[in-house]
Amino acid sequence: MRFMSSQILVNRWGVLCLALTMLCVGCHRDDAFPSRPLTLLCPWSVGGGTDRVSRQVAYQLEQVLGVPVNVINATGGSGVTGHTRGSQARPDGYTLAMVTVELNMLHWRGLTSVNYQDFQPLHLLNRDSAALFVKEDSPYKSLDELRNAIRSEPGKLKSSGTAFGGIWHVAVAGWLDQQGLDPTATNWISINGSGPSIQELNAGGLDFICCSLPEVDTLLAAGKVRCLGVMADERVDGFEEVATFKEQGHEWSIAGWRGLAAPLGVPAERLSVIEAAVSEVAQSEELREFMGQAGFNLSLETASEFGETLQVQDRIFEKVLTGPAFESLSGDHFGPMLFPSLLLAILFVLGLFWSLQGRSMDQVSSREPGGSMIRPLIVIVACVFYLSASEWIGFVMSSTTVVFSLVWMAYYDRSPWYRIKLAGISSVLLSISIYQVFAVWLRVPLPRGWVGW
Amino acid sequence: MFVEIQQAAAQVFFDPHVWLIVVGSAIYGIFLGAMPGLTATMGVALFVPITYWMEPLPALAAIVTMVACAIFAGDLPTTLMRVPGTPASAAYADDAYALAKRGEASQALGTALWFSVTGGIFGAILLMLVGQQLSGIASWFSVSEYFWLYLIGLSCAVVVGKDGILRSAIGLVFGLLLSTVGLSAVYGKARFTFGHPELFQGINFIPAMIGLFGLSEVLRGVMQNESRGSVAMKDGVGTNLFRPAVEQFWKRNRHWWRSSLIGTVIGAIPGAGADMAAWVSVSVSKRFSQKPEEYGKGSTEAIADACAGNSSSLAAAWVPALVFGIPGDSVTAIVIGVLYMKNLQPGPEIFEQQATLVYSIYFVFLLANLVMLPIGWLAIHACRQVLRVPKAMLLPIITLFCVVGSFSINGSQFDILVMLAFGVLGLACERYRISIGAMVLGLILGGPLEERFVQTLSGSQGSFTGFVDRPAAILLAFICFVIWGRVLWSGIRRFQTG
Repeated sequence: MRFMSSQILVNRWGVLCLALTMLCVGCHRDDAFPSRPLTLLCPWSVGGGTDRVSRQVAYQLEQVLGVPVNVINATGGSGVTGHTRGSQARPDGYTLAMVTVELNMLHWRGLTSVNYQDFQPLHLLNRDSAALFVKEDSPYKSLDELRNAIRSEPGKLKSSGTAFGGIWHVAVAGWLDQQGLDPTATNWISINGSGPSIQELNAGGLDFICCSLPEVDTLLAAGKVRCLGVMADERVDGFEEVATFKEQGHEWSIAGWRGLAAPLGVPAERLSVIEAAVSEVAQSEELREFMGQAGFNLSLETASEFGETLQVQDRIFEKVLTGPAFESLSGDHFGPMLFPSLLLAILFVLGLFWSLQGRSMDQVSSREPGGSMIRPLIVIVACVFYLSASEWIGFVMSSTTVVFSLVWMAYYDRSPWYRIKLAGISSVLLSISIYQVFAVWLRVPLPRGWVGW
Repeated sequence: MFVEIQQAAAQVFFDPHVWLIVVGSAIYGIFLGAMPGLTATMGVALFVPITYWMEPLPALAAIVTMVACAIFAGDLPTTLMRVPGTPASAAYADDAYALAKRGEASQALGTALWFSVTGGIFGAILLMLVGQQLSGIASWFSVSEYFWLYLIGLSCAVVVGKDGILRSAIGLVFGLLLSTVGLSAVYGKARFTFGHPELFQGINFIPAMIGLFGLSEVLRGVMQNESRGSVAMKDGVGTNLFRPAVEQFWKRNRHWWRSSLIGTVIGAIPGAGADMAAWVSVSVSKRFSQKPEEYGKGSTEAIADACAGNSSSLAAAWVPALVFGIPGDSVTAIVIGVLYMKNLQPGPEIFEQQATLVYSIYFVFLLANLVMLPIGWLAIHACRQVLRVPKAMLLPIITLFCVVGSFSINGSQFDILVMLAFGVLGLACERYRISIGAMVLGLILGGPLEERFVQTLSGSQGSFTGFVDRPAAILLAFICFVIWGRVLWSGIRRFQTG
């Protein structure tokens, strides 16, 4: 009886499955570029400024190119992960990268070998100058007062804005260096991101912070913080009341920037399609409006200008980051192994207790794994197969193989013909429907391989 | 103030457009949350370019609804397949799955839905009354207070462990240790990466969580050859989803008040979030429960209190974003962006100048939770069909979901490898009954805890007095010591009595 109903099930699903496969394979592929979705790699996390710019650009590129453009947040490692993945992506024109000022910094700090020469610049989109902020009740009313306070008591004032060695830290260290002070004269607390730094300033834990103007806009407009100056050559649009460093006699300017780039080696005809689309988006009124409303300072440079800027900036950061000024900063008195070794010590003590407790209390779990070790191994091997094959043969085929082998394994006591039918149908059905849901509806870029799906 | 409340209520409840958007985003949010590896944040980020053409209120309504529903929907795969849909579900994953295995999946999901809805409503109403006062909490929290707060959150995970303090603590410390892999945020130096650039990003906790809970269950299933039968042959409660939940709601209403209040307060601290709210509510709930021994083994009380906690924290998380423009998490960061796009300036005056908007946001939270009740009910009934799939078929499906889910969060092949490794680790932990829930929390909070620790130390030039030099820090430190004092005291007593 059970077998019968399964039989009917198998046949009915079989027809549907065939139809679905034909639907999927029916997706025609021609040589026009682009014929499938593009991926835009964003090196910073969802919700941040770079992510917001990336998503707006992706959205507009989509309308120009006529295919979906999906944003992937390749986060972590202070931007190392995203920039590395961007430079190593397959240069078929289907992967673009959002690059940020860290591209010019990370390699000078010895964190990666990836630098601007690993990218084909496409367009500079935005440039936000660094600025210094203090709380409303702070005694420092001007840049000179702050500098004098730092000079009189080096190391006493607490400041932040980003993690150690980040762009805003370099901005402050460079300013101090230019003023003839030791870059370590301010106690830089390594707080990851400007949001938490603003929170810390607001809670009274810091004396001043450095970040871009739009990030502090809310508290600035409410009068809760005061801006001492912006490190730009000219006053910033929308913040005309904020004086520049230059006006106050401090010859120092520095900015964070965001731009679009592609991995090296994209075929010329595809590159020209992308370049045209990108500059159409960059020049559009819609982007101008978005950047203005979101508080980002629009700063456009075409591919060749952007390339020159990258080169010039790289020299500047080389000077700051490899110079003796920054060298003295890297010696930190709490080593990076302090926390892990503390944890190891605790783990050791806990382990000691555990062994002291004796095996008497340690009755074996009711979920004692018995039986074959082969089957779990097959599951893992199947996943590893997926891992190594999906980039080449695409998601649908590799996941079909995985599910087929697992279902085949599970119904070991049935006839081979039944197993083939059941495993074949269920695997094809499952991988195609997951592909539909994830890649088509939810727009998660699943591995495509050379077939395109 | 009453005029504004009236206006806001009219804007939200009498506008069919808002209703339409709320219902649409509720369905989308549930769908998104139920897919392992996809988060509410991702859904909201995908949605932002569309808000460009929308009025501010419908745009914010869509975001609110999506997030509230996605957090609940995370319980669906947690209960039915033991693959946590969101990190907030990890606090009670063991309870929910244990219930499902006993054939009480409906009860687990009904409880989760009912308490998510009521908790969310509580949070919205409380904020309407004291939202402005609550915003003050954020300005007490400097790095040293955060350090103690995270420590309290971690201690809570140790206290709720089902197999004793020691095993939870080992799991937790192991999780913390794993969180130090990668480029350290404080120092910008690589640790334990062995020269592999992939390890620079560290261990992402979502694939780790999917591996620890989901894949390990698959591995255990195939090992014990559980290919016959389904997860639960019968599902006792039938179609009456809410009765047990509502009964519990009346019987334990004191616990509900407390959990929702905890959730709201924790939510108002930028960066603490729903995960923390769930853990803290569960452990406080265990402390006052009459059946603490059931926690972690299929307790509906744990599910109820955790859901009330994480759901009520959502509305509160908007307070620091609206008042200071400081985003507590990535969703509120996007919200601030949307506000700017609509020419609405967040700031302390928003309660006066934009009072109608602020109140209508809270009304949207109310509406979203009300809409979630029927839509969640439908979702539970639809997803319950999973229970009828034979296990032999379900295990390959779960495997594929684990692979795709861990890939989709960052689009990285490396994350699949992480998921696999943690699947094997989860199997080993189960053998020695080491708490994997605590391990996940350790992975999540390890980075922030270390950052706060080092930041406090370097702020006070290496002196430990920096941890207790502010009144709020002293209070939190005291709470922390009380928790650990109790733990040690009960440990010593048990040791003495044999």
